Amino acid sequence: MLELKHDLRLAKTRDEKARMNFVSGLRAHVLNDLASGMRSVYDAKVEPQFRREQKRVPKDGPEVHKAIKGNDYFKFYSTLRVTAQDMVWQSVIPPLERNRPELKQKAAKLAGKSKARGTLRLQPNFEVPRYVSAIDVHLMAGNYDGEYEKDDLAAGSLYDNGLAVFSFGLMGQNLDDIGQSIAGFIRLKYPNLQPKKILDLGCTIGHNTGSWKDHFPEAEVHGIDVAAPCLRYAHARAEAQDRTVHFHQMNAEKLDFPDASFDVVFSSMFLHEVPKKSIAKIMNEAYRVLKPGGLMLHMELPPNSQLSAYDAFYLDWDSAYNNEPFYKPFRDLRPEDLCQKAGFDPKKYVQFVIPSVGWYGEKVWREAATRPPEVDSDKTGRLTDGILWYCFGAWK
Amino acid sequence: MSRQPMRRTIRGGRPYFFDDPAIDKVLNMVVVLASEVWTLRERLMAMEAIQVTRGGLKAGEIDRFEFKPEDEANLSAQRKEYIDSLFRVLAEQVDEARRSKPAPSAAPAKAQRSKALKSKANKATARKKK
Repeated sequence: MLELKHDLRLAKTRDEKARMNFVSGLRAHVLNDLASGMRSVYDAKVEPQFRREQKRVPKDGPEVHKAIKGNDYFKFYSTLRVTAQDMVWQSVIPPLERNRPELKQKAAKLAGKSKARGTLRLQPNFEVPRYVSAIDVHLMAGNYDGEYEKDDLAAGSLYDNGLAVFSFGLMGQNLDDIGQSIAGFIRLKYPNLQPKKILDLGCTIGHNTGSWKDHFPEAEVHGIDVAAPCLRYAHARAEAQDRTVHFHQMNAEKLDFPDASFDVVFSSMFLHEVPKKSIAKIMNEAYRVLKPGGLMLHMELPPNSQLSAYDAFYLDWDSAYNNEPFYKPFRDLRPEDLCQKAGFDPKKYVQFVIPSVGWYGEKVWREAATRPPEVDSDKTGRLTDGILWYCFGAWK
Repeated sequence: MSRQPMRRTIRGGRPYFFDDPAIDKVLNMVVVLASEVWTLRERLMAMEAIQVTRGGLKAGEIDRFEFKPEDEANLSAQRKEYIDSLFRVLAEQVDEARRSKPAPSAAPAKAQRSKALKSKANKATARKKK
């Protein structure tokens, strides 16, 4: 299990750590070993049977899903994945429950420390959209916005500690591999881009927001989210790491920032959490707040249009079984269309597949800035050994 | 707002994959149990390592250790008790079968059971036909 490095980490007993270790190991087994086993079963049994019956190969993810659904291996893979997902949160809740009073004190101390450089702006009576308030995404009870006391930040801690168990090391020692890989990549690839202001949409606990500050120390970095407990936690977490980030409670569909005020508008693993109607509004807002010459960049799961039928099915699994109702609908959209509809010039569309800097090391990652890998790979966007991060966007 | 305990159940429930969701549930219990077995192993390993550091144990001493015959006998009896209790639920069924007499009072129960079995068989054929 990955131990968080900052001051908000929870004190855990030996047994609690062991349970977390077990769940991390179980997840690695399911997502590496069982996942590759399922692919072999598909190739050897499921696909040939489909071909015999239909005289063709499955054309997309849903057809693969339908063909494999009755297979025992799929059932074991799936039920074990759900079990492991549930156990991620269940392994964190007992130590978190015990540490809540202390966590709150620590956070208050960090937020109020004299050298606190970042800020936190919450909105009283803020209306959390139903696509967040009504569901438990990733089977995380309480979701990002659930509050259990005044000035609560338990949901932020649950997410941070849960992510440490969940990612079995693939999201970096500080859970910021996405931010580090991408912000660093952009700096290498576009040395002339010298952003003064950077915005991270749907930043949750700010784990990938801080990376922009690391790679662009001169820039003013802002993160927005709708969930107050995550933002409170994000603020304290950034202070604990001595990163100057400004957090705001805001809905990305209706940003409270002036036109043309940011040089970079970023998001990671965010668009697939919101319905299509909201995605369009978010893209419009990103366009609006971006300065001419600025860059919009969304790190996401790769779109179905650029994946093989099997890989599409594999990623769609989350939509059907991990409380991710908007995940497949988003991945069915074409990212280039999304950018164009928001007003971006199609000629200024960009997309990258960036090797995880933590997994591949600096050398491979640096090389990718000159020659990025293809999207169509079973490593793109998939939490597995050798992960590659996908992102798309456009210049304004 | 006073402090409330955190919610632990998932809104919307969880998905099931086997024809009978009981299989998914039992598998979940098995994995949770496996996690506790692992937890014990880590704890034991920690205890052993502490003892080795303090000089109370030599490295590898436990692996070379043999129980005295009387301890072995005690352990063996405890192991049997443990296994019996693990399968208690099956023993209950046997106890009940042995207690029941083939007296007239048992007849309706038997009829009921054969009726239940029949309907189960019918269901199975119906499923096959699908």
